[in-house]
Amino acid sequence: MVGRAPKWIIFVVGFVGCLWIIPIVGIVATSLQTTDSIARGWWHFGENEFSLQAWRTVWQTYPLSGSLWVSAKITLAATVLTMVTAPAAAYTFHYLRFRMRRLWLIIIINAFVLPQQVVIIPLFQLWRDVGLLDNMAAVVIPFVGLSYAWAVFLVKSFLEDFPKELIEAARIDGCGPIRTFTQVVLPNLISPIAACGILQFLWCWNTLLLPMLFLRSDISLTVLLARIAGTYDPNLDQQAVAAIVTAVIPLAIFLLFQKQFAAGNRVSSGGKE
Amino acid sequence: MPGKPSLEGTGVRLPHAGTDSPLRKRFGLQLPESATALLLLTPVILLFGLSVIYPVIETVRISFWEIRGLGRPHFVGLGNYLRLFTDPVFLGTLWTTLIFTIGVTIVSVTIGWTIALLCAFAPRQTSIFRLMIFATFGISEAVAGYIWIGIFRPGDAGLLNGILVAVGLGEFAQPWLGGANSALIALIVTASWSAVGLPLLLSFASVQAIPRSILEAAYMDGAKPLTMIWNIMVPLSLPGARVAIFLTLLSSLRAFDIVFVLTAGGPARATETVGFFMYRESMTQFNLGYGAASTVILLIGVLLVSTPAIAQRTRGAK
Repeated sequence: MVGRAPKWIIFVVGFVGCLWIIPIVGIVATSLQTTDSIARGWWHFGENEFSLQAWRTVWQTYPLSGSLWVSAKITLAATVLTMVTAPAAAYTFHYLRFRMRRLWLIIIINAFVLPQQVVIIPLFQLWRDVGLLDNMAAVVIPFVGLSYAWAVFLVKSFLEDFPKELIEAARIDGCGPIRTFTQVVLPNLISPIAACGILQFLWCWNTLLLPMLFLRSDISLTVLLARIAGTYDPNLDQQAVAAIVTAVIPLAIFLLFQKQFAAGNRVSSGGKE
Repeated sequence: MPGKPSLEGTGVRLPHAGTDSPLRKRFGLQLPESATALLLLTPVILLFGLSVIYPVIETVRISFWEIRGLGRPHFVGLGNYLRLFTDPVFLGTLWTTLIFTIGVTIVSVTIGWTIALLCAFAPRQTSIFRLMIFATFGISEAVAGYIWIGIFRPGDAGLLNGILVAVGLGEFAQPWLGGANSALIALIVTASWSAVGLPLLLSFASVQAIPRSILEAAYMDGAKPLTMIWNIMVPLSLPGARVAIFLTLLSSLRAFDIVFVLTAGGPARATETVGFFMYRESMTQFNLGYGAASTVILLIGVLLVSTPAIAQRTRGAK
């Protein structure tokens, strides 16, 4: 930007930034204090007692490690499936000609407006009838199916700027559509595919509704936290640990890859630099 | 390829590699284009059909039936819809959804866009603060709801009450999640905290895309930051903000996770949104038909809000 930034601007943004992380500071402080101290209010740092007790006992109180494993499994399965199949679909829609191509494309890219609530009654009945309730697939299938609505659009927007000459050159050199995809297009799609992967990972790990309804015994971390939050159990310190464990992996992934994520998002929102 | 006339836009398509390639003539290796397309699209069409197309059609169909638990379904036509619009609880959820959606959109887009505009004057010095705000994007609504329960807790243990007492506004201290209006306010605050990342990101990208020369010219003419923001940057970053407004409207309309964790629709169903009502009717009361009908109402609302976006995407689908 031009000139020197006025001090008050940095001050205002800094104030809002600090305000925004107070809840996060609060949950970390809560996890590190005794229950008596939490009842007094976690911010009385002077009088409160610190303890690592909750971090040690929480693993026995709640099935955290099991849920961590469930979350990791369903999230990774859904993320990998989306990252593999969505780019292939975007390529097919963009370069190949086939019947009802435009109709399918319009349906898929507009489905991003659909609320998840539309899915749950029919899929609940279906999974119940075929015995898939409580099976990982009951969650992974809708995770992947719903992701196409935005993932195909994201990759296809990226392909709109892809040089046509490369595709034509590959064809003239005798590449079929599949070889053109795997050897010419795919190596250039790393950044939109990474953006899809990050978005899908965050969404699958963080979402509550579908896993809450379709998983019963092996539940994901988010479902576990929602269950704990709905009870009147007094272990606020241990609940705080559970919340931190639930949040820490997607938050780390997000902070690690936020640059790629921002790049992918710029393409999908149409505001190219 | 200098000098070679471009075929782009002329409708001329180069011969497909397969048609005259000697390899293909000899071995017949390549599939026709439509067969390749089918091969690459099969997993997508299967999964998309199973988890999007079938459920949408089935939800609409079920909404004309009365299905209670394991009892025999029977056809009721528009019966479920007539019942919905005479059900005071459902009418209440429509109102709650409206207030919640508009509230969250106004609060989160205003904050996100304002921060984006301010950050443009000092992108480097403010990057850490921007990240602190943006970080909520990586935190799930469920965790956000849980964290904010702690802030709204009644008595001394709640941070909000603690702050009110500390600044001498003790008479406003209350069990925030216990009253109908205060619980809705709490819900809007929490959801806005969690939703601000996307408006911030989109508006910031839009602000950054404003040509430097325009801003430099304004600076040379002695424009103050606030004048520049109001007269130049706000109108020029409107496209990004508009996308942010639409996406925030869309996601708050269908809110479920945050409602479930923070208030569970309470107290006394005062903070139930349509997205939550649908869950409660179909998945806890097992009124599948009635729940499906409320889902169709939600779907209609979502489609109304998204009509311009759908039209735009459909036109752009080449």
